[in-house]
Amino acid sequence: MTLHDRDLHGATVTIEEIPPVARFSLRVRDKDRAAAGAALGVDLPDRVGDRAASGDRTLVCLGPDEWLVTAPEQARDGIVRDMAAIRDGAPHSLTDISDREITFRVAGPAALTLMTIGCPRDLRRLEPGRAVRTVFDTAQIVLWRDGPDSFRLDVWRSFAPHVRSLLEIGRKEIAAGF
Amino acid sequence: MSRFRVQGKGRVRHDAPVGFTFDGRAYDGLRGDTVASALLANGVHLMGRSFKYHRPRGPVCAGTEEPNALVGTSRDGGAKGGRFEPNTRATAQELRQGLTVESQNRLPSLKFDVGAVNDRLYMLFSAGFYYKTFMWPRSFWDRVYEPVIRAAAGLGKAPDTVDPDRYASRYLHTDVLVVGAGPAGLTAALAAARSGAEVTLVDEHAEMGGALLSDPGVGIDGMPAWDWIAAQLDELDRLGVRRMTRTTAIGYYHQNMVGLCERLTDHLDTLPDDAPRERMWRVRAGHVVLAQGALEKPLVFDGNDRPGVMLAGAAQTYLNRYGVRVGDLAVVVTSHDSAWHAAFDLADAGTRIAAIVDTRASVRADLTEAAARRGIRVLASHTVTATWGRLRVKSVRVAPVRDGKVQGGYRIDCDCLLMCGGWTPSLHLFSHTKGTLRWDDVQQAFLPDRSVEACQIAGAGRGLWGYEAALRDGIAAGNAAAEALGRDAQDSAVLVANDRTGSGVSHKELPTDGDPNRARAFVDFQNDVTAKDIRLAVREGMRSIEHVKRYTTNGMATDQGKMSNVNGLMIASDAVGKAPPQVGLTTFRPPYTPTTFGTFAGYHRGGQFEVTRKTPIDAWAEAHGAAFEPVSLWRRAWYFPQAGEDMHAAVARECLATRRSVGIFDASTLGKIEVSGPDAVEFMNRMYTNPWTKLGIGRCRYGVLLGEDGYIRDDGVIGRLRDDLFHVTTTTGGAARVLAMMEDYLQTEWPDLDVWLTSTTEQWATVALNGPDARKVLAPLVEGQDMSAEALPHMSVAECTVAGIPARLFRLSFTGELGFEINVPARHGLRLWEALMQAGADYDICPYGTETMHVLRAEKGFIIVGQDTDGTVAPDDANLGWAIGKAKTDFVGMRSLRRPDLVAKGRKQLVGLLTEDGAVRLEEGAQIVADPDQPKPMKMLGHVTSSYSSATLGRSIAMALIEGGRDMDGQIVHVPMPDGVHKARITSTNFYDPEGERLKV
Repeated sequence: MTLHDRDLHGATVTIEEIPPVARFSLRVRDKDRAAAGAALGVDLPDRVGDRAASGDRTLVCLGPDEWLVTAPEQARDGIVRDMAAIRDGAPHSLTDISDREITFRVAGPAALTLMTIGCPRDLRRLEPGRAVRTVFDTAQIVLWRDGPDSFRLDVWRSFAPHVRSLLEIGRKEIAAGF
Repeated sequence: MSRFRVQGKGRVRHDAPVGFTFDGRAYDGLRGDTVASALLANGVHLMGRSFKYHRPRGPVCAGTEEPNALVGTSRDGGAKGGRFEPNTRATAQELRQGLTVESQNRLPSLKFDVGAVNDRLYMLFSAGFYYKTFMWPRSFWDRVYEPVIRAAAGLGKAPDTVDPDRYASRYLHTDVLVVGAGPAGLTAALAAARSGAEVTLVDEHAEMGGALLSDPGVGIDGMPAWDWIAAQLDELDRLGVRRMTRTTAIGYYHQNMVGLCERLTDHLDTLPDDAPRERMWRVRAGHVVLAQGALEKPLVFDGNDRPGVMLAGAAQTYLNRYGVRVGDLAVVVTSHDSAWHAAFDLADAGTRIAAIVDTRASVRADLTEAAARRGIRVLASHTVTATWGRLRVKSVRVAPVRDGKVQGGYRIDCDCLLMCGGWTPSLHLFSHTKGTLRWDDVQQAFLPDRSVEACQIAGAGRGLWGYEAALRDGIAAGNAAAEALGRDAQDSAVLVANDRTGSGVSHKELPTDGDPNRARAFVDFQNDVTAKDIRLAVREGMRSIEHVKRYTTNGMATDQGKMSNVNGLMIASDAVGKAPPQVGLTTFRPPYTPTTFGTFAGYHRGGQFEVTRKTPIDAWAEAHGAAFEPVSLWRRAWYFPQAGEDMHAAVARECLATRRSVGIFDASTLGKIEVSGPDAVEFMNRMYTNPWTKLGIGRCRYGVLLGEDGYIRDDGVIGRLRDDLFHVTTTTGGAARVLAMMEDYLQTEWPDLDVWLTSTTEQWATVALNGPDARKVLAPLVEGQDMSAEALPHMSVAECTVAGIPARLFRLSFTGELGFEINVPARHGLRLWEALMQAGADYDICPYGTETMHVLRAEKGFIIVGQDTDGTVAPDDANLGWAIGKAKTDFVGMRSLRRPDLVAKGRKQLVGLLTEDGAVRLEEGAQIVADPDQPKPMKMLGHVTSSYSSATLGRSIAMALIEGGRDMDGQIVHVPMPDGVHKARITSTNFYDPEGERLKV
């Protein structure tokens, strides 16, 4: 599959900030993963970048012992409670980072091209449904690929305006046919 | 119709004239022209003056390697338009409507230049001239030599307005990157694409085809060359190959990362809105095929730089690609067969060829026969010894060479002299990778040898000559790339008719019967280096080509010696008396061609120059007139001036208001790390100097973090929220560094600990309330926590809600007043701030910034890491010995604290300084001496680290690091400053409320 940005004349891409969700960083050792998965009701995916979901809870594996847990805001307290219940038997760290990041959605036929202005990864190889920690320009991000033409970027709050302004510049370039 | 344009010839559009100006005069060119081809069509060869001697110069080639025809160009009408670019290569810049071109390095005009006096004085300006001439007298250097040299130096005018253009960048991943879309590049790209690989093909020119664009008479697979090119491009497009023209591969970096500069708008008549001018592509390629071709070499003889003297291949390109004859009467001088074809093409287009001068004794019969058919006089075994003509060559002196001796010469009239000294494979990008080169004795050229990257070189770039050879080599390279990527490649054949094969010999300077010391035989046109200069450098002791290069500046111009390096090497090796590979080749470095600063900067300009981190409360501060200061990447409110206030007045007011009633401060930038897990307390014990085991849940402690060397790295207040959970704060600037240091220890030294670290700096917005009325403002907003001093004592932490927002509420003080820091999820930060402002209205709550924070903490003697410490300050030096857990068996840096130099007497210690005159504020950084009358150099005791006017104390205060400072309590020291030497008394650093009574409320 190739996507040729020179064929993008008139192609569009939208950038929007999307409403906050409950977001946790979960760290747990291998031996306690099953317990954590049971408590959350979602098995912890074991390949970095893989995503798993059940009910309103979504887990992404970001590192060998690191998962990102997201859920609607109203599910926050339930997640805290469920994990607190297993703390003694399955030591882990569950840290609320809901407000640490702002999330942008970048979507449209030119979304992949727009991402190449700041992300050095070969994003064509990031399959829809996966998510990875990477960088956009100088900002660390978690990049979700929700579909062939749809990305989400979790950006640390104070870096978000910088990332957003670069995305806007890139969007104008593409809209201008360049 | 311009006189030298050949109707119907070339790839330019004869029905599409394009108007432009050169030095104020209007000219017409055609769509598809370069500036150089358009001027040549109008009979203009003189396009610039040379760098050193201000000699008249015209284009010598037809590509980006051009050393002479460098001009200033602008879009919006001259140097003031904001789009002025100096040193544009006229041979590469495509013509556009309204393009303004001006010549460079001349005064007052291109045809009459006073700087040309240098040319008359050329005997003075030999190699190494700067080193020799300006040495004495020494005092002349600063006032005379350097200013004069600087005024005369440089080529072109630097733009003096801000560049209004925008520049872009993208990353690109591709299986195969092919650099150069000449015959080898086209077949390589096609072979790789046919295997199913994803291919990117780039070329620096406006259209693809390379040398074939200049050789339309060649037939490939039964098609005329240009039809064949079109067919190839069609198939490449059908196969989905990404083709990029006007795109120069400027650098080849590790692991097949290639930088491309794509010029997007310089060729357009009008600028589209929002279009970037250039784009930097950072390409990561699975395999790279370099098909950059070869560059024609000039011959080195007296007067080889006059306007009208140019490379034969360039004349062929101007004719066949642009439909321009470079003159009416040409002499060709060559040591390679290729120039014969150029001569024939020109002759067939109506230029008279006065003679073909070949340095070789015998030439292929088919060439001499073809010359005879056209009635061209052939002078074999001849040399060229001189040229004439001030602004344009008008005649050339040729002479036969017998047994190495130059016989009597004679003049031949001409209006252009076309030279060819053979071809140099273009190895620049390969050289960037540190690929090795080998010297080929037959070709007298360096060829690529071992590659350290996944890289193929195809065609003339590795010394092959002739179209069929290049085309076949391209197929082989494309297939090799495909196979290296695990794809099946198919061999395919290619048949060439009317191929222009050939060979040649290589020369140092051409033999002459004239005085070689008077010969102006140029090797490097752009830096005005002659053969004589190179021989002089060798005579003066330079043996390595690297030394010759630096002494003469040969190859050091912006063209990086594309034309001069090999000729310079041949002459140097002859002078040294060693074979060329023993003398060596200089190293090529990126970029391949001069590249704009804008392309390198990309999006990083203006508001995007660097990330500016702002807190959730920043907008409020901006709306309320805050002055800001940068702290690492953050911008922080510095102070909040009211009408008529300067910084001093604002800070004094903020300090007094806080100590009198209550002040509010945005502390959101403080680094925050959540340390969580069953081994959290053990981890804290190992990282920080302090003991943590007995710290109760709900209590805080000031923590000190050292490096392995025992010096203070960071500090901050740390709260224990659960048995297994600590909320660590760090300095604003240290947040990322501290987390990285902790992770480093955790992952490499203590992987057995069940503890995890998470940055929560941006999870929390933090508001600090300080002052005797702080509790009165805060308490009504708090739910879920008893706010009494007994329930929430100094140095404690609680989870509760504040203004209805879930919060981590710390009671601590960085001011010496009753203080709280309220952490709430960042999205609520502004709401919390506004709620506190409203609640504090009755208490005249005062927002304050970082400057007041600094003053208030200095009045209490609290340190700022990085201001009062400098990486050489141990805890005891900073009066923080108390923060070390005496019973602890280990922590990072503990062992170093027992080093002899850290326990020795006389270490610099942090003390207070009170100037004798309280109105004098010492300068931070000022040096401190015991006796201002001692002989110089004086003994420096230390320096001032913090210094402020304290409105609270009604005088200045300062802190200083002074050798043995604590033992000097009460003594007078002296601080020299620009306005005189000030006396100061050494004191404690705790200037205000030393008993800490104000905390006990």
